[in-house]
Amino acid sequence: MQSIRKRQVHGLQMNKTGFSLAILLALLMWTLAGCQFTQSPFALAVSSAGAEFAAAATTLSYVHSGKISTQYAQGSFVNYRSQLDGFDRQLPSQQGAPGRASIEQLLALYKVAIRAVDDPCLEASCNWQAQVAALNRASQAFLKAGGS
Amino acid sequence: MKKVFAIALGIVTAIGGFLDAGTVATSGEAGAKYGFGLIWAVILATIEIILLVEMVGRFTAVSQKTYADAIREKFGFKFYLFPLASELIAESLLLAAELGGVAIALSLLTGISWHYLFPVAALLVLVLVWSASFDIIENGPALLGLVTLSFLVGVILLGPPKLTLLQTLWKPPVQQGQFADYLYLVAAILGSTISPYLLYFYSSGAIEEHWSGKSLLLNRVTAIVGMGFGSIGSLALLILSAIVLRPLNMQAGTLGEIGLALAKPLGIVGSYLFAVALFATCLGAALEVTLAVSYNVAQGFGWEWGQNQNPVQTARYYTFMIVFLLIAVIIGLTGTDPLQLALFASTVIALFLPISLSPFLFIMNDPAYLKDKTNGWFDNTAIILILLIAFAVAIVSIPLEIITGGG
Repeated sequence: MQSIRKRQVHGLQMNKTGFSLAILLALLMWTLAGCQFTQSPFALAVSSAGAEFAAAATTLSYVHSGKISTQYAQGSFVNYRSQLDGFDRQLPSQQGAPGRASIEQLLALYKVAIRAVDDPCLEASCNWQAQVAALNRASQAFLKAGGS
Repeated sequence: MKKVFAIALGIVTAIGGFLDAGTVATSGEAGAKYGFGLIWAVILATIEIILLVEMVGRFTAVSQKTYADAIREKFGFKFYLFPLASELIAESLLLAAELGGVAIALSLLTGISWHYLFPVAALLVLVLVWSASFDIIENGPALLGLVTLSFLVGVILLGPPKLTLLQTLWKPPVQQGQFADYLYLVAAILGSTISPYLLYFYSSGAIEEHWSGKSLLLNRVTAIVGMGFGSIGSLALLILSAIVLRPLNMQAGTLGEIGLALAKPLGIVGSYLFAVALFATCLGAALEVTLAVSYNVAQGFGWEWGQNQNPVQTARYYTFMIVFLLIAVIIGLTGTDPLQLALFASTVIALFLPISLSPFLFIMNDPAYLKDKTNGWFDNTAIILILLIAFAVAIVSIPLEIITGGG
C-alpha cells in the first residue's frame, strides 16, 4: 500500500516536473520569437524563393558558358520546380505579408520567372539571356521583400 | 607491411567516407548563408567524432563486444530500447535522405528526374547490402569518395577569399530574425557529423575484422588522421559555397546548387566530380546506415548477424534490413527534398545525441570492459560538453524552425 502511494507521489512529482519543463520551453520559444530570433513566414518564403531564382539564373548561365552539362541543368531544374511549386498560391496568405499591391507586384515577377524555371532554355537557339534577366529581376525583388 | 597497409587503408577510407548527404547539405548551406561563420561548428563536430570513433574502436578491440551488446548487458533490455528507438527514428530519416542524395547524383549525371531514380537508388543499396562482403561495403564507396578531395582543389584554384568574407569567420553575418536558422544549422552540422550510427557500424566492423588489443594503434591513427583529414572535404565545401554561392545570393537550398560552386573553378569537370562525389558519399553512407541499424537491432535482440555470413543463417538480420530500407523508401516517396530531409534528420540526431551516447560514457569508464584502457578526464569532459551544446541548440531551434516553416 505504502509503495503504491510512494509511486503515486513520485508520478505526481514527475508530472509536475514535465509540466514545468514544458512551460519553461514554451516561455523560451515565446521569448526567442519575440526577440526577433526568427523571420516571419512571409520573409522566409520570399527569401528562399529569391535564392532559388538566383540559383536558376546561375544554372542557366553556367550551362550556356559550358561550365555544366545539359543533364546537370535538367536535374537541377527539377529541384527548383519542386521548391517553387505552389508558391504563388501560398504567398498572399503567409503571416507577415505586406499590402495587396506589393504582393501583386511580386506575383507578376514570379509568373514570368516561373515560366523560365518550368521550361528553361537549355539550347543555344532560344533566347536564354531573356530568361536569365527575368530570373535575376525576380530574385532581386524577392530577396528585397524578404529583407536580405 | 600488412599493418602499414591496414593503417593506410583505414585513413583513406575514413577520408573518403567522411561526407554524406547531411554533411554536404549542411556545409553547402552554411557557407552560402553565413560565409565562414559556421566553420567553428564543423571543427567542434570533427573533434567530437575523432574522440568517439577512437573510443568505440578501443572499446571493441579490448572488450571484444559491440556497443549494442554492451548497452543491453550493462543497462538491461528495457533501457536498451530507448537508444534503439531514437536510432530508428533518426536513422530512417537519414537513410531516406541518403537515398535521395544518390538519386539526385544520378539525376545530375543523366538529366532524369530524381523522383524516378529514387527507387533505383534503393534497389542498388538493397543489392549491395544483400550480396557484398563487409570489406567491399566499407572500402568501395569510400575509395570512390576520395573525389571529394577535388573540393580542396577547387578552393585552391579560387585563390584567397576577400577580406569581408574572412571577417565572417569571427563575425558571422547573422541578420535580424536569422538567429534561429543559424542555431538550426549548428545543430544540423553537429548531428550530421556526430551520427551515432557510426559507432554501431565501427564497433560491429571491428568484430567483423577480428580486431584485438594489437589493433589499438590502427584504431587511433584511423580516428585521428582519417577523421581529421576527412573533415577537410566538409570545410572545403563550406568555403567553396561561401566564395562562389554567397555573392550570387544563393542559399544552397538544393543539392545540385552546391555543385555549381565546384563548376566555377573546375568547369564541366567540376560538375561531374561533384555528382560523382555526391553519389559515392551518399551511397557509402546509405550502406553504412542500413548495416549499422541492422547490426544494432540484431545484436540487441540476440539474433545471428554478420555481413560475411550466409543470409540463410542470419535470416532475421537480413529481413530487418529489408524492412528498414522499405521504411526509408516510404519516407522518401513523400517527395520531400533530400537536402531538407538531410538537414532535418541531422538536427533530430543532434537532439537525440544524449540518449544515444550517454550510455556510451558509462561503458567507457567501466574497467570490467576496458581494463586499464578506460577514458581519461579530457575525453569525458569534451564529450559531455559537446553533447550538451548539440542538444541545447537542437531543442531551441527545431520548434522555432517548425513554427516559422523554415528549415
